[in-house]
Amino acid sequence: MSLTSTLSLIDRLRAIVGPDGILTSPSELLVYECDGFTIEKNKPDVVVFPTSTEQVVQIVKACNELDVPFLPRGAGTSLAGGCLPVGGGVMITLSRMKRILEVDYRNRYAVVEPGVINLWLTNHLKPQGWHFAPDPSSQGACTIGGNVATNSGGPHTLKYGVTVNHVLGLEFVLPDGRVVRTGGPVEDNPGYDLTGVIVGSEGTFGIATKVWVRITRNPEAYRTLLGVFETVDDATNTISDIIGAGIVPAALEMLDTLILQAVEAAFHFGFPLDAGAVLIMEVDGLEAGLENEAERIIKIAKKNHAREVRRANSDAERLLLWKSRKQAFGAVGRLAPSYCTQDGVVPRTRLPHILREIQRIGDKYDLRICNVFHAGDGNIHPILLFDERDAEQVKRVLAASGEILDECIRVGGSVTGEHGIGVEKIDFMPKLFSPEDLAMMMRLRAAFNPEGRCSPRKMLPTAGACIEPSKAGRRAAL
Amino acid sequence: MDDNACSIDDFGPLPIMRPQSVAEIGDIVRRAAAEGQAIYPVGGRTLLHIGLPPTRPGIAVDLWSLSQVLDYPARDMTVTVQAGITLAQLQAILATENQRLPIDVPHAEQATLGGVLAANVNGARRLGFGTLRDYVIGISTINDQGQEVKAGGRVVKNVAGYDLCKLHIGALGTLGIISQVTLKLRPLPECASLITFGCETAALDHLLDHLHATRTRPVCLDVLNRASARFLVREFRANLPEAPWVILVGFEDNSDAVGWQVRQLIQELAPGAIQGLEARAGAACEPLWRGLIEHTASGQRLTFKANLLPSAVAAFCRQTQTHSESIRLHAHAGSGIVYGHLDGDLTLPQVAAMLKEMTDAAVRAEGNLVVPRCPSEWKRELPVWGRERGELVLMRQVKEKLDPQHLFNPGRFLAGI
Repeated sequence: MSLTSTLSLIDRLRAIVGPDGILTSPSELLVYECDGFTIEKNKPDVVVFPTSTEQVVQIVKACNELDVPFLPRGAGTSLAGGCLPVGGGVMITLSRMKRILEVDYRNRYAVVEPGVINLWLTNHLKPQGWHFAPDPSSQGACTIGGNVATNSGGPHTLKYGVTVNHVLGLEFVLPDGRVVRTGGPVEDNPGYDLTGVIVGSEGTFGIATKVWVRITRNPEAYRTLLGVFETVDDATNTISDIIGAGIVPAALEMLDTLILQAVEAAFHFGFPLDAGAVLIMEVDGLEAGLENEAERIIKIAKKNHAREVRRANSDAERLLLWKSRKQAFGAVGRLAPSYCTQDGVVPRTRLPHILREIQRIGDKYDLRICNVFHAGDGNIHPILLFDERDAEQVKRVLAASGEILDECIRVGGSVTGEHGIGVEKIDFMPKLFSPEDLAMMMRLRAAFNPEGRCSPRKMLPTAGACIEPSKAGRRAAL
Repeated sequence: MDDNACSIDDFGPLPIMRPQSVAEIGDIVRRAAAEGQAIYPVGGRTLLHIGLPPTRPGIAVDLWSLSQVLDYPARDMTVTVQAGITLAQLQAILATENQRLPIDVPHAEQATLGGVLAANVNGARRLGFGTLRDYVIGISTINDQGQEVKAGGRVVKNVAGYDLCKLHIGALGTLGIISQVTLKLRPLPECASLITFGCETAALDHLLDHLHATRTRPVCLDVLNRASARFLVREFRANLPEAPWVILVGFEDNSDAVGWQVRQLIQELAPGAIQGLEARAGAACEPLWRGLIEHTASGQRLTFKANLLPSAVAAFCRQTQTHSESIRLHAHAGSGIVYGHLDGDLTLPQVAAMLKEMTDAAVRAEGNLVVPRCPSEWKRELPVWGRERGELVLMRQVKEKLDPQHLFNPGRFLAGI
């Protein structure tokens, strides 16, 4: 692309979004060079902030005419490089499309723009006693559009399901600029469940500009318990026994010794610093029967040698406990200058095994690894501590991460439960899927994104192949 | 079933192939593709009436023999099975571990999991437990090249790769042959209860609005018109009040929670507005649960299914009832789904006019109306797959990429996909 056409792209984008809806200077673009996965970085060539579907359409059409790649971004809290602008191009940030358009309690849905922050919606519904169920730890910052892209989870997905279980429909700008509405406020629309397959496609199918979400009534009551265990094994056996007893807790979260120290220093909840592990165990629902269920859980924990089981005695205490859990990642800064969070999944019964393996791998690579994770789902989040200024440490972190994820695959699990493949885990896709499986996924992508212009080089190992090398050169010239 | 051929909507005979392994399915697909034959996957053949007539000669591929349980780690609450297993077989195995797949399926003795997935079958308890898209966590299918391809996995939480599970559910087998499925499971409830009562037409709207706001958390909120209630009394020996409308509210949970909800709901219901209230628990619910499940599939001549905003269900039912006294209406009112069975001697023009009016009403309520069962010769005239929507163009693109030769179930899905 010549300088003239570069200028013409920027001029066109500026004409679409206005002068305050575009960033082009290198210092401003720096903010957009990565998401929560900081090991790889690359600046986009330009960032635009559309405020309407029509603007998104015009931006996408301009990118098509000028042969430039583009990708959507929400709040950039993703953890696998999902909104890393590989090779540059136009970054379409949806954060200014942040209206809650409609809430229909009688029919149990809401319509929101993609830039609405997850927690805003829940706060908006709170006075009526409703909420939006997916509750990723980043819910105070992440957008619902981003939740749709990554099919986000969270602590309470154990009982309530992940994002896809709560998305009914989408207004969607295809990579060629056409607008399609899939699904809508009612269930069982005839035809393929396009909404279901778009959720979790990590921005590689197009850009959601409107989301129909299911809203959920708040539970009438909670019992939030903190089980304190001497060993990780006792804690994981407790999880296995709770599930085995036919109890469906709202959440079962585990924190190990190392992370407890950081969390306690940050939030002063009163966690025991000498415990091998603690479990946050929550049941919710109707008041009737809930106490019984809590008692059963306490019994199971005690049977597995829990040192003590504490209860959150007030709403404030419960909220502090959850705040400590959800902001645990923020507290990790107290332990090391840099950290890398992994996102493996194993069958729940293999948790004791994988945690021992994590310990062994940490020792092998001389790395400190702490654990805070969705134990009830078997979704582990080992946090590898290091200093990114030391290239040798970075190498060891990558090698250790790889070994942990390989072990997840070996025991029948997955390399990502909720963070996504992004760019970080592309190399694991051929380990999880056969070439035939991946070819099918490529065919599906081609149905939505035939030229690969939207979010190139994400999720599938072969996805970069349809970007001609010459185009990379053009992007560099932008 | 030991016959050698079957027909779909009078199209046939289609010779039946009975592969004994996944590899054999692959061979059959490759051979059919080479010979220009279409493939019609079949299981228990309980739902072959769904969809448009086939458009190309071909073969039926019967999955009945592939019915193994491949992996049931009960403590993980997942199960991996071959798609030819019947729902009754599956549930019986799960029950030994006090677990279940909480999806209501008619003709469960005959219906195979693959077929149930392809048609996205569900029933009364969908309000409390959702639908198949909430339970399928892994799927393997035989693609147009005869390869077994998989998506998802065997763990309950997994976002690696595109979620093709969602695409195959409700796709009527048009994107490949479902060969293997991994499901997320739920514990069997400790206790169940079904409350039934009758009401007059004038009270229906208000009662449904009220039930929506109840402090209780029903797993089922169904409505039957008089003709449907009589059918359940006659065929399933259910004890139901004789009233213009019968409302059924189901609870499943631990016994304390169920007991409290039954008492609470009875307290909430104003005695003046309802008639013949009855609450039953445990085994006493069984005939009625069974009746509710089988009833949606009990149409003889024509069955329609409307999906619309739950708030519009009462008005939709009232309007529909005015067309025919004998129509059997059954709504999953909490989820906005209304089934209707028309068994009378209506002519095609009468039915077409009626369905048009009802489709208009469903579309006004953000939904649609499909006709899962009707005489084959009517299918070209009636809105079998409902009114066309804008997303059809994208559905066609998906079909073109995943089954470019239109090998699987050609012509039977919406808009002739």
